[in-house]
Parts: sequence; structure tokens; C-alpha cells
Amino acid sequence: MTTATNRRVTAPTQPPGPEKQKKKRLTFTGGLMAPGVAVLALLSILPFIALVVMSFSTVQLLGGVRLSWAGLDNWSRALADPDMWSSWLKTIIFLGATLGLEMVLGIGLALLLHRVTRGRGLLLSLILLPMFVAPVIVGLLGRYLTDSTFGLYAWLLNQMGWEGDILGGTTSAFVAVVLMDVWEWTPLVALITLAGLSSVNPSTMEAASLDGAGYWRSLQHIVFPSISGILLVALLIRAMDAVRYYDIIFVTTNGGPADATKIIPIRLFENAFRFFDLGYAATIGLMMLVLTILIAQGFVRVLARKD
Amino acid sequence: MLNRRELLRTGLLGAGALAAPGLLAACSNETTARMPALKAGEDPWRRFAGTTINFISENTAPTAAIAANLKPFTELTGINVRIVNLELSALVQRVALDMASGDSQYQVVYADPYQVLAPYSAGLADLREFIGAEDFPPLEGGLEDFIPTQMDAAGRFAEEGPVFALPYDCPTMIWQYRIDLFDKYGDAMADELGFDPTPGSDRTWDEYLQIARWFNDNADEVSYGTGHQAKQHDSLMCDFSNILWSYGGDYFAAGEQIGLLGLRDPGKCTLNSAEGVEAAEFYSSLMAAAHPASRTWDWDGVGAALRASEIAMCPNWHEFAASNEQALPGKVGYAPLPKGPARSAHMYGGTGIAISDNAQGAQRGAAWLFVNWATSPETQLSNLRSSAGGGTPTRTSVYELPQVRAAEQRPSDLPNMLTAEAVRTAWEPDNVGLRPKIPMWNACDTAIFTELSKMIAGQSPQETMDNATERFDQIVERGWVA
Repeated sequence: MTTATNRRVTAPTQPPGPEKQKKKRLTFTGGLMAPGVAVLALLSILPFIALVVMSFSTVQLLGGVRLSWAGLDNWSRALADPDMWSSWLKTIIFLGATLGLEMVLGIGLALLLHRVTRGRGLLLSLILLPMFVAPVIVGLLGRYLTDSTFGLYAWLLNQMGWEGDILGGTTSAFVAVVLMDVWEWTPLVALITLAGLSSVNPSTMEAASLDGAGYWRSLQHIVFPSISGILLVALLIRAMDAVRYYDIIFVTTNGGPADATKIIPIRLFENAFRFFDLGYAATIGLMMLVLTILIAQGFVRVLARKD
Repeated sequence: MLNRRELLRTGLLGAGALAAPGLLAACSNETTARMPALKAGEDPWRRFAGTTINFISENTAPTAAIAANLKPFTELTGINVRIVNLELSALVQRVALDMASGDSQYQVVYADPYQVLAPYSAGLADLREFIGAEDFPPLEGGLEDFIPTQMDAAGRFAEEGPVFALPYDCPTMIWQYRIDLFDKYGDAMADELGFDPTPGSDRTWDEYLQIARWFNDNADEVSYGTGHQAKQHDSLMCDFSNILWSYGGDYFAAGEQIGLLGLRDPGKCTLNSAEGVEAAEFYSSLMAAAHPASRTWDWDGVGAALRASEIAMCPNWHEFAASNEQALPGKVGYAPLPKGPARSAHMYGGTGIAISDNAQGAQRGAAWLFVNWATSPETQLSNLRSSAGGGTPTRTSVYELPQVRAAEQRPSDLPNMLTAEAVRTAWEPDNVGLRPKIPMWNACDTAIFTELSKMIAGQSPQETMDNATERFDQIVERGWVA
């Protein structure tokens, strides 16, 4: 023990030789982390580097993948393409609409569930069901329910005097795919919010009630400030997911009609796996990555400010 | 003296050094297996017995029939065939990635002329290597037995010589209509419209539109007169192309050459010609009278709508006849599509089956035996009879068989043959409609169906054709690099 302590004390006084410096770099903790970092590098960093390289290249597939230098061609094409900007606009609107609706409905559902004392478990299980359905199945269900020949929703709207085809109109198709996502993911927001509500101190609520604060005032001044952090996390999770929204649109409208639902992930897929224009697709992918990072950083900053 | 760590490091490096060449060799194309030679007296069909090959196909009727009855092939050759059935766009992805790997996970490929053959012909084997080779069984009837237009459209690319695929299926768009409704209302329609509405090659597209409107206003049995596959999808391009060609328009100046053999560089787009714009104007009017759900239907959707009595008629692929006959026995009739000011045009959507050029050794030979067998007259006849699917033959000899001829009339045990008269007219060189067979077709296809979808949503026909032309020219200018 004494020897070890002495060694630790005396070590810094010795001039560090090059060999010792090298050894010092990999600490015990570093050694433990090394396999994880290596796997991370293999799974994320290398593909990321490949993606960056591809975005400056023309990718040829036949006879093995080959890259030829294309300079800024893919980037200038992406930035000058009006269809691409139109898709970005639709992506932003889609993001705003789905997040807004999911947050409002999810919080509303959670508040209702929080007040339920009997059968909450059963209700919660029922409400959570859509979340467990694969998005592609949600798309197929949506397509059948909105089909003008045999779809239930189409029939109901028809009975109410609405003429036309839900997935055939530019606005109605966009609204339909937004609502399909909202149907599937509102339960997640409700679940996260409910967890937050459970953590609100009951004695604070009781004190507010004794002081004469009504339900809405308590929500405004006690509940929401208490759960705002958790709401931001819910918003962050959904935002990151909504940027990559793909399955439901692919199954229902495939970006149509008239490109009304062609958000960026659909355009990315189209360029990558329909046209095999992999260099251009890599550029779109990197643009999506930038947006995702910006959104994530925005939320993290708000969270940090709150703390 | 090596310590434990150094020993371990040295051992790992040594093992890596020994394994690397082996691993690299395993990944390399250089280690190509040789095809086993035919032994004296050996049955050429049994030459590759015990080999397993993979066939990747679109989920089409002929493949459904073949998958349901592979036993005759396995008994004949001793070869095992695994069939992967996929939706077309998924198939194209798999084939492209398989070719990119330099390997051949799929030895036999369903080679759509526009999405696989044209862009990836360099990755497909030239079948002349097998046709006529003495150590392989002969191709029954030779290449001449295949319908000539289909042989060029589905089997060749850019030049006359190489044969990359043998015609395997041949869906073609024809006029499908409710016989019972035309029988019931034919006279009243003729009185009001002033022409005989009976579907046939004498009808014009203008008359078709008038018939559709008449049904909209007068028939209770159906919701609308006509329905179309006008979803923002490949189907919209197919539906519109019939009208484009019949009005004298085309995608490129060298229309026939591009459609039949294909070209690597098609030149400038001609979609915004006066004829092209006129066709777009007519299509716009047609869509205004069509079932509103047409905007969400592809070929399956419009087929289901006809069978569900939502519409009285539609242009659709002739291979839907079997399912029509199941749902509405005796009630659906088939005719060539109406003509326009220039001609009558019928979109041909046939495909060939090909062999991946990366296939090596016994698998390469076995793949050819399968291609030979799957496109043989006997198999095509068997497919026609299959309850699992079937499609229609691509060989003239099969159409000439007495039992096939007899099945062209009701009652028919081969319901797809009810369309034979209509498709024979459709395949005549003057009537066939062949989209451009160019490597960059996928991007061009997306450009035209997106612009058409915008037109259906309100964009003007002139703007539609101008935009499509501009996008085609940009795509062609960028060229095809994959």
C-alpha cells in the first residue's frame, strides 16, 4: 500500500519519456471503453465518413461499388432543386402538424388518465395499442379505411356530404398521413406525460388547492412547470422520429398525389433505391442529418437552460 | 522470451495474415468456378443435378404458376430452384445490390426491360452462350417462336445481336368492359350519342369519353363509367402513354427504336410537342369524368374497382382476365383500346427472364436450364392451366394449339385466353406501345407520372408537358453511371 502510494506521488516528478507518454494515453477506463468505441466507430463513424465521401462522388454499382470524384455537383444540384425545397417545406409542415397534434392530444389524454382511479391500467393498455402496431401496418390499415370503394372513413365522410377521395386530394392526402402518424404515436406522448404527472408532488397540489387555485391554474403554475422537462424529452423523441417518417407515406400515397406528401425521406429513398443515384441520395441524407442535429441541439439547449 | 500478451498479439497477427488472402479470395470474382463438362452419353438436362439456384421474380402470375408446380423441372433436371417473389421496386433494388456485390445471390433474374434490362444489361449474361450450344438441350422452336416484338422489347438492349433475356410474361393494356351493361344500355347509348358504343378498334378516345360520361349520368349499376390507374405511380405513366401515342406524341424523337431495342442516349425529349400537349389535354378531360378514386388506384386498384362494379370500363392489363372471370363470370369483355388521331396504342408491359453474369460454374448452366424450361411451350401451356396464376404465353406456337384456340371463347377453362383476340391486335407492330427502353428510365418515369399527377390536381396540360420535358432533358443530360 505504501509502495503504491509512493509510486503515485513520485511518478509526476520523473520526466515523461516518449514510451511512458504513449502508455499513459490508454487509461484503465479508456481500455474498458475501447471495445464500445470501436463498435460505435464501425457502426456509425465509418458509414458517416462513407456517406460524406459519397456525397462528393458519383457512385457506380456494376462490377463492384466504385466512386468517382464529382466535386460539389451533388450539393449544388440539391441546393438548386426547387422540388427538393418543396419537399423540405412539406417536411417542416409535417413535423409541425404531427408534433403539435401529438403533444396536445397526448397531454390531454394523460391528464384524463391521471384523474381516472378505477381501471386506469386497462384504459392505458387500450390507448397504448396503436403504438405497438408496425408503421407499415398502420399505413395499410389507413389505406383500406380511406379507400373510396370499401373504406369506412371514406363512407362516413361520404355520408356527411364530403365528395372526393381522401388519398386522391392533395390536402386531404396530407392530412390523412398526418393523422395516421398522430393515431400511432399520440399514445407514446400520453405515456411519457403520464409518467411525468405521477412525479408531481401531491402535497404541492393539495397546498395549491387549499390556497384556492383551480384546476387550470394548478396545471398552468404547478403541473406544467414540473413536467416541462419530460415534455421536452417526449417532443425530442417524436421530432427525431418524425424527420425519418417514411413507412406510412410509402404504403399509402408513395409521395403523391402531385407530390403533396413527398417529404424528404421519400425523396431520399427514391433517389437511393429507385434511381440508384447514391451520391445525390447521400447528400440528401446528410442534409437530413443536419436537420436532426439542429433539432436535437435546440431541445438540449432548452433543457440545459431549464436545469 | 515472449510474454503472454506478445504471444497472443503475434498469434493473432499470424492468424490474420494467413486468413486474409483466403478471405479476400472468397470475396473476389477471380475465383470463378468452371462449368462441369457434359460427359459422354449424359442427358444434358441432368448435367447439373444436385445444384441449387435462386430465381428472383416480381410477384406475377407466371411465377405464381411455376412456383406452384416446380416438380416437373426438379424431376427433369435434379436442380433445386428457390424462388423469391417480390414487388417490382423491391426486386430492382435486390438485383442492383446483388450485381454491385460482384456476386450472384440470384442466378436467374426477372429482367424488367425498363428497370433491370436497360440499366443493368452489362450485368446480365448473353444467352447466345447457351442457345445452340451442343452441350445444352436445344431451345424448343428457337428464338423465332417468341413473338417478334416481345423478343426485341424484353430480350435485347441497344443492339440486335446479344440476347439478354427470353420473353416470360406479356401483360398488355386493353379495353376491359362490362358486357352486361353494354348489352343493356347499348341501344339507348347509340341513340343518344349517335354512334355504336360497342368497344372495339373502331372506337375513338373521344367516343370512349362520351360513353364514360353517359354511364356517369344514366347507369345505376356502377358509380362511374370509367376508372383509371392514375395514382402517382408507374401505372399513371402506363395509362397516359396509350393516349400519348394514339395522339401521335412520344417521349423521344426516335420513339420506335427506343421502344423496341432501346438506346443508351435517347436525345432530346419531345413530350411538349403539339401532339403531346393535345394528348395531355384529352387525358385531363378523361380524368375529370373518371371515378375520383382513380387518383389513388394503380392497376390492382382499377382492377378491383371493375370487379366491385364501381366502374363500367377501364384500360388495364389483359392478365386481369382470370380474376375478372372469377368475380364476374361471363360479364367482362375485352377489346383493343380506342384509337386517337394517329393510331391505336397498347402499352406492353412484358418481361423476360435473364441470367446474372456473375453466376458461375454449375449454377450458371443450371440457370440456363431453368430459363429454357420456364419459357418452353410446354411450361407456358401448363401455366395457362394453373389455378395458382398463369399469365399468358409469349410463344406463337402455344397460341396456335387447338386447345388454346378453343379457350378464346366462353366457356373457357383458360380465362386469360379470352383476351387473345384483343391482345393479338394490340401486339401488331402498328398498335403496340413501347415505352422508352433507356438506362435512366426510372427517373424519367418518375418525372412524367409526377407531372401528370400534378396535372390531375390542377396544373395545366401545357405546363405539365413543358415541366416533364425539362426534367427528362436534365435526367438524360446527367446520363446513367451505375
